[in-house]
Amino acid sequence: MPMTPDTRRQRESRTGWILMTPALMILALVFAYPILRAFWLSTFTQNLGTQLNAEFSGLTNYARLIGDSRFWQSLWNTSLFTAFSISLELLIGLVFALILNQTFRGRGLVRTVALIPWALPTAVMGLAWAWIFNDQFGVVNDLLIRLGFIQERITWLGEPTRAMLALICADVWKTTPFIAILLLAGLQSIPGDLYEAHAIDGASPWQSFRHITLPLIAPQILIALLFRFAQSFGIFDLVQVMTGGGPAGATETVSIYIYATVRRYLDFGYGAALVVVTFLILIVAVLLTAGLLSKTRVNLTGD
Amino acid sequence: MIHQPDPALLTLVFLTIMTAQNTTTPPKKIPTQRILLWVGVALMLLFCLAPVLWQILTSFKTNPAISAIPTVYIPNGDQLTIAHYFSLGNEFLRYILNSFLVSLVSTVVCLAVGAPAAYALARLKIPGEQIVLAIVLVVSLFPYVLLFLGLLEIVKAAGLGNNYLALIVPYTAINLPLTILVLRSFFQQLPKDLEDSAKIDGYQTVPMLLQIVLPMTIPALVTTGILTFIFAWNEFIFALTFITRSELQTIPIAVAKLGGASVFEIPYGPIAAATVLGTIPLVLLVLFFQRRIVQGITAGAVKG
Amino acid sequence: MRIVPFKQSPWLRFIILMGAVILALQVFILPVFSQQPVTVRVMMQALEAQQWQPLKANFEAQNPDIKLDIVAGPNDTNLVEDLYTSAFLLGDSPYDLIYLDIAWVPKFAAAQWLAPLEQYVSAAQLDDFLAGDVAGGRYDGQLYRMPFRSDAGMLYYRTDLLAAAGYDPPATFDQLLDISQALQESGAVQWGYVWQGKQYEGIAAMFVEVLAGHGAFWIDPDSLEVGLDAPEAIAALEFLRATIQNDISPPGVTTYAEEETRRLFQSGDVAFLRNWPYVFALAADSDLAGQFAIKPMVHAPGEKSGACQGGWGFGISATSRHPEATWRVIEYLSSTEAQRDYILETGYVPSRIELFNDPEIVAKYSHYPDLLAVVQNSTLRPPIAQYAQASDILQRFLSTALTDQLTPTAALEAAAQETRALLGRAG
Repeated sequence: MPMTPDTRRQRESRTGWILMTPALMILALVFAYPILRAFWLSTFTQNLGTQLNAEFSGLTNYARLIGDSRFWQSLWNTSLFTAFSISLELLIGLVFALILNQTFRGRGLVRTVALIPWALPTAVMGLAWAWIFNDQFGVVNDLLIRLGFIQERITWLGEPTRAMLALICADVWKTTPFIAILLLAGLQSIPGDLYEAHAIDGASPWQSFRHITLPLIAPQILIALLFRFAQSFGIFDLVQVMTGGGPAGATETVSIYIYATVRRYLDFGYGAALVVVTFLILIVAVLLTAGLLSKTRVNLTGD
Repeated sequence: MIHQPDPALLTLVFLTIMTAQNTTTPPKKIPTQRILLWVGVALMLLFCLAPVLWQILTSFKTNPAISAIPTVYIPNGDQLTIAHYFSLGNEFLRYILNSFLVSLVSTVVCLAVGAPAAYALARLKIPGEQIVLAIVLVVSLFPYVLLFLGLLEIVKAAGLGNNYLALIVPYTAINLPLTILVLRSFFQQLPKDLEDSAKIDGYQTVPMLLQIVLPMTIPALVTTGILTFIFAWNEFIFALTFITRSELQTIPIAVAKLGGASVFEIPYGPIAAATVLGTIPLVLLVLFFQRRIVQGITAGAVKG
Repeated sequence: MRIVPFKQSPWLRFIILMGAVILALQVFILPVFSQQPVTVRVMMQALEAQQWQPLKANFEAQNPDIKLDIVAGPNDTNLVEDLYTSAFLLGDSPYDLIYLDIAWVPKFAAAQWLAPLEQYVSAAQLDDFLAGDVAGGRYDGQLYRMPFRSDAGMLYYRTDLLAAAGYDPPATFDQLLDISQALQESGAVQWGYVWQGKQYEGIAAMFVEVLAGHGAFWIDPDSLEVGLDAPEAIAALEFLRATIQNDISPPGVTTYAEEETRRLFQSGDVAFLRNWPYVFALAADSDLAGQFAIKPMVHAPGEKSGACQGGWGFGISATSRHPEATWRVIEYLSSTEAQRDYILETGYVPSRIELFNDPEIVAKYSHYPDLLAVVQNSTLRPPIAQYAQASDILQRFLSTALTDQLTPTAALEAAAQETRALLGRAG
């Protein structure tokens, strides 16, 4: 039976929705209520002052948030942490992926080993890292002293900048494999003959990398960056265990602050407002990046 | 420990590898490239393994050796013990099984539900497709720790406390955006003519997906599957809150319940031992599945 | 009413007797056997859940109608608090007996999660317990928590080093600094004094003692007045900073919690330590055995020393279906016998005053009479509903000053301002 384009499009659309429905249902089940609830609750005051009853208070929570220096500091801390950790991770992860994409003896084992940092529970490794960076008993100071780089033991977690550095270090170690494996999967799907053709045209390896590898794994890079951005901005357990937000609140991230507000201060309305603002800031950041990226692409093709 | 290798060296390794890639260079040239590749591999192993080796060493050291000054690297006879492993007890095996069950089910569901959605988003023309994509993106930006309070109410209302569904469904949902986006990018890179010719050969949509498209996306499925599995294996906050019966708990909770000689003490030895034991199954699993990632090469050869 | 003599009919007598027996069985005896024992559930750190097992066995043997179900939680007490909180937030707590830290009382009580206990216990009975520990169980005049094992901060000092250098134990902050410096200069120790300076609850507890020793206060729970920017409070913080600046404390104290300081003290390189009683047993079991002693925290001249009141006790969940049975558990655990058994077994600090001088306990822990002197001077952290928030503000600004980001004056003024804003919002 011949199909008109209309009915084919309808059928395709129907098949599409059938294929997507289970996933959308699960997403809705888990995300819809908590997200909508946060928006709704953010216009109420619900805390110990109101005997935990929700009382409508309009935009009071948002007004309070504007003057909340602790929130802005935590936002700044989180941005700093995110920017440094994900750029380092992308760089090292890309190198890892390129190495793992080569054929060499024992590659399977090396690939597995490269995933181990990601496989270790964050909360536990946070403890281990705190111990590794301990000023008296830690192995970092011991090694640095033995190697002659330092004379005095450094209090890694006792000074704002160094504590942030230690955190970034632990996070880069932990999540580089995540990026590496995503990029590796992308590299694996590039057909080898593309390189051969390019090499015959006299292109240098660097040119092949710029013109074949990078464009072809661009989707994976973007996905990896997007998820690392989200994960890193929401970082919680590593910081909680390693520094608890200190010293001087210099490593307190947004998630830690919100978690404390909701679960320890029982300030639900205000916590919801914090969630909403953080969430919106993230969305705007991603939209801006996407906008910039599409502009860059136009420029590149315009070249 | 800062294991970030020297940037100059990195660039060197990087460029060498690129040169080594897919070339048909004569055997004579290989040694220098190979040596640099192996240097790269060695640095990578050092980066990934040094903190882990430290954990393994810690798990075999006696308590005094763990907090000795100067730092004990290789424990001697007196400082060596396997007591930390015995202190975990037989229940630890049960926690591993629990973690395995939860992780496996959520991974399978995530792939089974995510792959069709990804295919639809990549290949089919659907009105509202952009909205669905936007939803998936936006949802992935919500810090998952903060889902907790809303989920708690759902779990309570549905009576799912101490039920693995309370873990499996959130884990699946949290990993769905990643799964969908990664698989979608793979479906988009697959040559469309493959499906067209299959359709000409008389394949219906579903058999075509299962028999032709799916095998070609195995690398992507394995990749996202591994990432999902590991997430579920290590998740802490939900597992702590939604499962309170000890015989149902997962490994991270078991580790959190390890105690020292006093209420303030952090028992580094037993924790290290539990980490090592709890990670071995993951390592075996990845070791087994990682060769599937390579299959992309052969699948890619079909492209032409 | 005329009583019919039984002899009238043997049969009638038999039937009446039988009836009476059956009735008695049904009303009085059978229920005891057929009734399901009531389950009272409690959650606590996994380590302590282990230590409770003998108590549980004893209690259940004496009370066959009540089963005590002990759920082992994580070892980090913050996580235990989080778990109790989520259980309460769901409205219908699965826990009947709440084993709670003294610092949780105001919040749990203000959230109306705990049942008042005044109906079960008389003022006279409470007099047998440490006054500070009982006071810490009150919120808004009501009693919500019965004390179990007490805790208080104190000063540990090296008797051998002080004796060798000819010093008496320090009484004031200045003496502590002077002796430390002298011992360090003589090479006897590397560090003079270690304390908890990490940004966490422990720094707040420690600072309460330094504040009290300077005659300052944090928050007055009745008037909600904030005393953090008073000159005495600033002097208290100046003291802590001086210990770091004069190299009396290692720079790492700003990252130390209880365990790090204990390990350092036990390594023998430190003359003075601020810590809780748990250190005593562990240090007595190390190379330091017999070379250290405890005393109340030092103070400024003319002021009294303070000891931060800590400890764990019992509350009853407001939604418990078995409050009576739960109270019977508390009654048993609060008894002299149960507490003595537990203390002998574990080495924790009792909350019953008489036990500090109990012959059996003193035979095992000879320092307990000294401990009583410390614990009786205890100072409470401010018992206000927003304590967790107030504590976080203080922790953050203390850490800010100790890591040289702000001067003590600026840090405490900012802390006072934020605390006032917090209390103003709540009021």
